[in-house]
Amino acid sequence: MSETYGLLAEFSTPEALMHAAEEAYAAGFRQMDGYAPFPVEGLPEALGKKNRLPLLVLIGGIIGGLGAYFMEWYANAISYPINIGGRPTNSWPSFIPITFELTVLCAGLTAFFASFALNGLPRPHHPLFSIPEFDRASQDRFFLCIETKDPKFHPNETRAFLQQLNPVSITEVPE
Amino acid sequence: MSSIVNAVAARAKIVSLGVGVLGLAGCVAGWIVAPGDFFVAYLFGHFFFLGLSLGALALLMTHHLTSGYWGYSVRRFLESAVSTLPLLAVLFVPVFFGLPQLYPWKNPSVIAADEILRSRLYYLNTPGYVIRSAVVFAIWIVMARFLLKWSAEQDATVSVEPTRKMRTLSGPGLVIYPVTMTFAAIDWLMSLEKDWYSTMFAVMICIGQMLGALAFVILLLSVAADSRQLGPVISKEETFHKIGNLLLAFTMLWAYLEFGQLLITWSGNLPHEISWYLNRVTDGWRWVCVFLFLFNFFVPFFLLLMRPVKRRYQVLASVAACIFIAHIVDVWWTIAPSLHPEHVYVTWWAVIAFLGIGGIWSAAFLKNLERRPAVPLNDPRFAVAVPA
Repeated sequence: MSETYGLLAEFSTPEALMHAAEEAYAAGFRQMDGYAPFPVEGLPEALGKKNRLPLLVLIGGIIGGLGAYFMEWYANAISYPINIGGRPTNSWPSFIPITFELTVLCAGLTAFFASFALNGLPRPHHPLFSIPEFDRASQDRFFLCIETKDPKFHPNETRAFLQQLNPVSITEVPE
Repeated sequence: MSSIVNAVAARAKIVSLGVGVLGLAGCVAGWIVAPGDFFVAYLFGHFFFLGLSLGALALLMTHHLTSGYWGYSVRRFLESAVSTLPLLAVLFVPVFFGLPQLYPWKNPSVIAADEILRSRLYYLNTPGYVIRSAVVFAIWIVMARFLLKWSAEQDATVSVEPTRKMRTLSGPGLVIYPVTMTFAAIDWLMSLEKDWYSTMFAVMICIGQMLGALAFVILLLSVAADSRQLGPVISKEETFHKIGNLLLAFTMLWAYLEFGQLLITWSGNLPHEISWYLNRVTDGWRWVCVFLFLFNFFVPFFLLLMRPVKRRYQVLASVAACIFIAHIVDVWWTIAPSLHPEHVYVTWWAVIAFLGIGGIWSAAFLKNLERRPAVPLNDPRFAVAVPA
């Protein structure tokens, strides 16, 4: 038999999944993920998932804004200074629109690409796709998968742990 | 029926009334002793509290149109602020006696030296000023009367008719408000400068008023948040989150308009357009600009981006307090540098006029507040808007 990816527990309600996620986190599991047909409020936090996207978007926006202002300042004040109607070469009010636009653009592009990268996309295949029941993760079932790479994972004990959470089913996911 | 006002608020009403009467007595003294300083101060005090009432009127009509969840908990505050408009109309009368102290178009030596101003005298003159002021106040008071009357009817009936009427008036009302404010802003504020004009000015004033009024009702709501009368109706976190988002939108809009006017003026660089800014960047006035940028926009903007700030009402209240104080400075900065451009200028008469008008205004506000149930009753959209 090939390597195992993890153990998949199936639940019929989002509350049961939330409860299972909290229990599993309390039991020390970290390498795990939840799957649901709609966003379950609080589930990422219960699974101990940290969302680094806001910080990355902020950094992207700041780089965009500073970059835009630097570009305009360098072009107008250093590289090719022109007297435009007697205004100072570092004519900051005129620079604000571009600074604003590039802040938004860079923050937006960061959000787009960083959410791909943080989600591990593009990803044509996932071990869970080989489980027929998992189709219902996009319909009416809620899944918790504890992965074998978790240091606390043990084939029998983890199965026993999941069993006492009263799942609909427990499936072993092949790699 | 329950009311937001408790014993503390009843005492606050008496204190405000006392402060207001003393302040207005001080205003009379100011009028006699130092009319030059006094009328600037009085216009500032009046325009600040008028701004709260008119901003509240606009927010109230916005809520009647959109029926957002944020509005039900603050509707009584907005309505009480709106109901002070007749009082503010009476309190405006002294300004008519201060026109020579305030406006260059009443100053013969300025008129003689300024051809542009002479050509504007067919519009900028005492009868025109008085008539236009009376008309805009009349329009605001009529709109306020109808909204308050129908709101009282809504509390007493299960019929949807009053709700429908309020919504029908609010659509045109939100157009009438900036149009009337344009006339008022030109007469009362823009003509403080002798040649200056800006087509963006009135809408900038309107958004400033709505921002100030929103900060004001958030402060009041945070005080009332623990009161039992509001308890079952509002979910604190949800309400403050939503109203915090609205506050964020208004500080951004304020900054956008302030900057828009600056950018257009900067790009045009025409003598009659830049005078307003020249009067506001000399000496210490430029630090007032920096203060306004920081505390009416920059600091609140970054704080309000954060979700926890909006969901904890004590924190949101301190952001609202920051904006409210900055808005007081904003109104002074809009008015005073036109008359005193050389150096930063503040006068004790401004404090006295602010307390006098503010005291009377607050007493009237609290009196209107205690007359009504704490939250709207029988609003057909309320049940939908309140999450289970």
